[in-house]
Amino acid sequence: MTPKNIMEYSYYPGCSLHASAGEYDLSTRELFKTLGIGLTEIPDWFCCGATPAHNVDELLSLSLCAKNLELADSVEGDVAVACAACFSRLKTTQHTLKENETKRKQVEKAIDAPVKLDSKVKHLLEILAKDLGLERLAAAVNKPLSGLKVACYYGCLLTRPTDVPNLDCTEAPTIMEHVIEAVGAETVAWTHRLECCGANFTLSRPGVVIQLTNAILESAKAAGADCIMVGCPLCHGNLDIRQKEIEGVYNTNYNLPVFYLTQLVGLSVGLGSDKLGLDAMIVNPTPLLKEKGLL
Amino acid sequence: MIISQETMDVDFVRKVETLSGTSVRRCFQCGKCSAGCPMATFMEHPPNRVVRLLQLGQWQRILAGRSIWYCASCETCTTRCPNKVDLTSIMDALRKLSWDAEGASKESYVQLANKLFLQNIRTYGRQYEMRLAAVFNVKSGQFLKDLMLGPKLLAKGKLKLFHSKNKNLSEIEKIFTRIEEMRAKGEAL
Repeated sequence: MTPKNIMEYSYYPGCSLHASAGEYDLSTRELFKTLGIGLTEIPDWFCCGATPAHNVDELLSLSLCAKNLELADSVEGDVAVACAACFSRLKTTQHTLKENETKRKQVEKAIDAPVKLDSKVKHLLEILAKDLGLERLAAAVNKPLSGLKVACYYGCLLTRPTDVPNLDCTEAPTIMEHVIEAVGAETVAWTHRLECCGANFTLSRPGVVIQLTNAILESAKAAGADCIMVGCPLCHGNLDIRQKEIEGVYNTNYNLPVFYLTQLVGLSVGLGSDKLGLDAMIVNPTPLLKEKGLL
Repeated sequence: MIISQETMDVDFVRKVETLSGTSVRRCFQCGKCSAGCPMATFMEHPPNRVVRLLQLGQWQRILAGRSIWYCASCETCTTRCPNKVDLTSIMDALRKLSWDAEGASKESYVQLANKLFLQNIRTYGRQYEMRLAAVFNVKSGQFLKDLMLGPKLLAKGKLKLFHSKNKNLSEIEKIFTRIEEMRAKGEAL
């Protein structure tokens, strides 16, 4: 008999986790199962609209998120979000509609239901660091990530703007470092952990993305990192999928595997490569993990 | 150019303020937004100047340029503004108004990507990256763009060729329709 879960969440994976970020979805489900945290996927959730929707049609963006909050309400527990962009949109919607009554009325008319302004929306990092807690997380570790130097990359939307995600400090956050240090890894101090990778331009302006992402990879490498850890499938796409291309453009060699936080934490609690989707990563992490005795 | 009462279009600026929920008059031009903006080097009018042009009612100069389409919505400006000007929302409002006045801006690739993204939501309820990228390349005439990435992503299982449809698609259509109706009646911008 499987023991009862210690916590239950209503899970919003977001579009990327059902496609290009399948390994983030897989490793999240496996890690949370191991930690005794229940995740029930919200039935028939919709796209949150991400950056393109609020870029040109804020009312639509707010309405899509409000609809998702309504759907999430049918599942027990706070809303667990994996993608930094979905997380940001859902939190922004609650924040904006609390402050602006005119917009709230418009959205309620669009979705034909009251907006769930007070349901708690949490990023996976927050669940691991605060709800589960670093002590319980550390207690679950059976393969500490000793000797692995990790550059924690926050990007834009996990922490900004002030008063909206409320995950951590906007200019000097530490939550990612705390989580990964709790499972035995080392972290590096580096300059570009909060810089933008150009995420939403990956389709329309790849040249811009290549320039911004190169600066991030260069900074992580210069700080002596073995790998980068992210909590966002868009950052991951740019840092991992485009890394080879960037190396070609700048005639350099980074060879920095880019892990989702759930993959690294999953490794530390003893999950195998097949349950973490490590083979889906474009920059092959196997040599590094073997060298550190983690695989 | 002489700036006078006649050259200022205050109605447009009011629309920007309503949509963004922020006042452009609060800005005292410290320039902190532009200092931290990762995209400022790509813009002819950096963020602080966009606000200054709005203060002066010179919005046509903003819409004629590419600045608003090079904003990455990273929220750095809004986070750092000492006077609580929500510049990210001002950028959203400007894009919305430019979007409504079709063809106002030359940055067609970004607009095309946004348009296809929204169409996908209306048709499928969710985003399907493979479809989005393929249609974007065809419509923008860049058939070979990122072609080298394709086979690699397919092999890694990162591009899904088939997908299931949401069972509640009619609800998403209702949201789009209701918003269109509200706009037609002048109940929403």
